[in-house]
Amino acid sequence: MTLWQSIRPYLSGLVRFFHISYIEAKSEHRGTHLGIFWIPLSSLLFAAMLALVFHHADSMSVLEFFFYVFAGYIFWNFIADSITGSTDVIQGRFEFAIHNNLSLAGLFGKLLIDRLFAYLLNLAVLVILIAILSPWKLGVGLLLFFPFIALTVVTSLGTAYLVNMMTIFFPDLKALIAVGTRFMFFASPVFWSAAEGGGGVRGFLVKYNPAAYFLSLPRQVFGIEPIDAKAWLVAAIVSAVVCLVGYLAYHQSQGFVRNLK
Amino acid sequence: MARIHIENASVSYFLRNKGDASKTAERGAVGAQIVVGRRYLEITALRDISLSLKDGDRVGLVGMNGSGKSTLLKLCAKALAAQSGKVEIEGVVSPQFALGSGLRPTLSGRQNTELKCLYLGVPQSLIAERVEEVKGLSKLGGYFELPMNAYSAGMRSRLVMSLLRLVRGEILIMDEWIGAADPSVSGTINELQSQLIERSQILLLASHSKRVLADWVDTLVWVDRGEIRAHGKFDEVYKDYETWLQSRKQ
Repeated sequence: MTLWQSIRPYLSGLVRFFHISYIEAKSEHRGTHLGIFWIPLSSLLFAAMLALVFHHADSMSVLEFFFYVFAGYIFWNFIADSITGSTDVIQGRFEFAIHNNLSLAGLFGKLLIDRLFAYLLNLAVLVILIAILSPWKLGVGLLLFFPFIALTVVTSLGTAYLVNMMTIFFPDLKALIAVGTRFMFFASPVFWSAAEGGGGVRGFLVKYNPAAYFLSLPRQVFGIEPIDAKAWLVAAIVSAVVCLVGYLAYHQSQGFVRNLK
Repeated sequence: MARIHIENASVSYFLRNKGDASKTAERGAVGAQIVVGRRYLEITALRDISLSLKDGDRVGLVGMNGSGKSTLLKLCAKALAAQSGKVEIEGVVSPQFALGSGLRPTLSGRQNTELKCLYLGVPQSLIAERVEEVKGLSKLGGYFELPMNAYSAGMRSRLVMSLLRLVRGEILIMDEWIGAADPSVSGTINELQSQLIERSQILLLASHSKRVLADWVDTLVWVDRGEIRAHGKFDEVYKDYETWLQSRKQ
């Protein structure tokens, strides 16, 4: 009872912010017949196209490769939004936040919920498709869903703040970050697999690109890839570093950045 | 219990130094001194101010443009941080800085009201009821369902003022009085504003209008060039402020 009472305000706040994300997403698709269903539908169409075009090996069937790409692509969108969507948060949205009783941390939290809303909508479609097309049964990997979400949330929050800080102090980075994120889309195993390429450059990119480890996590959760403890360990270390640096940056800069016009 | 305690606080704004900043060092009749740094221009908007407010305080801020009134309000709303000194704010702050801030022009009146309810913590079960109340107060009719960017200025202010119905703050911070859109709604809006102020435990109101200040505040803080020049009973401080204003005109 005490535990419920202590977590209830947080759950209530979470529901409230998801509701806000829903209203805002609905308004972005106002006038269309499918409304917010365009969010997963556009991901689905793009992932299907990528799967058809880039499937060229026998290690996976087209259907398996489609799930591999779809799971990777929707998570890549979340990662990319965490980076490119955070370049002008304080500069552009803090005034709005203050008028809606949001603190600086609350503003970053609200934007994180927006990203999670879109991701969970995509994820729901992924789960439904796995259930309908039954390429395999969802297994023990699902137990890793909450650790996966926890890692994702803290890393996204830390990354968002750090990206915003960097663009505040070095405005030229905004354009560079946009280009860099596009480059990372191709340099990360979103629509290609190191197993298909047989090592080489792809193997190098998978080994030394932190995004590759994160992209592997949802695939493991939903049974698309076998569970690999190394990927979780590397992702946890990257998360811890990003969170620590993000926390220190927040602690040191939150006074100054609010006064920067 | 609400409380604002500011002790020897200084607040600066920082702007990026974009090259030729030599002309910005020139001192004008209004505004704080601009200090030109290598990477940033620093505007010290408040210098070494101390202010302590508790439950029941109704405080007005007066001062010329650029004197630091808005900065002081923003400091109390936690929108700005102090570079030195101590700032302690206890209680839920409700800032009302500018008409329409915190709303999305691309959303309808209904959606903006729903969002406002969610942001301000209205219980989910009461949101539909509150939205209808705001619709009724605004008297926007069918326009309530249209995006705000299709509204005239008057319609927009009707909506914004009707949204005051949702505001609940222990510390109410207002930058200038929110005027009514037209005489047909002024009665209702004035009543809403009165309720809002009466509900709050601390009121901090900046205004150039003696009438507005006299109606709502008991004490006055006179801010001049980033410093608190006087803090005391309304009549006494306003008299000194008026005399000072007259002497400047001469």
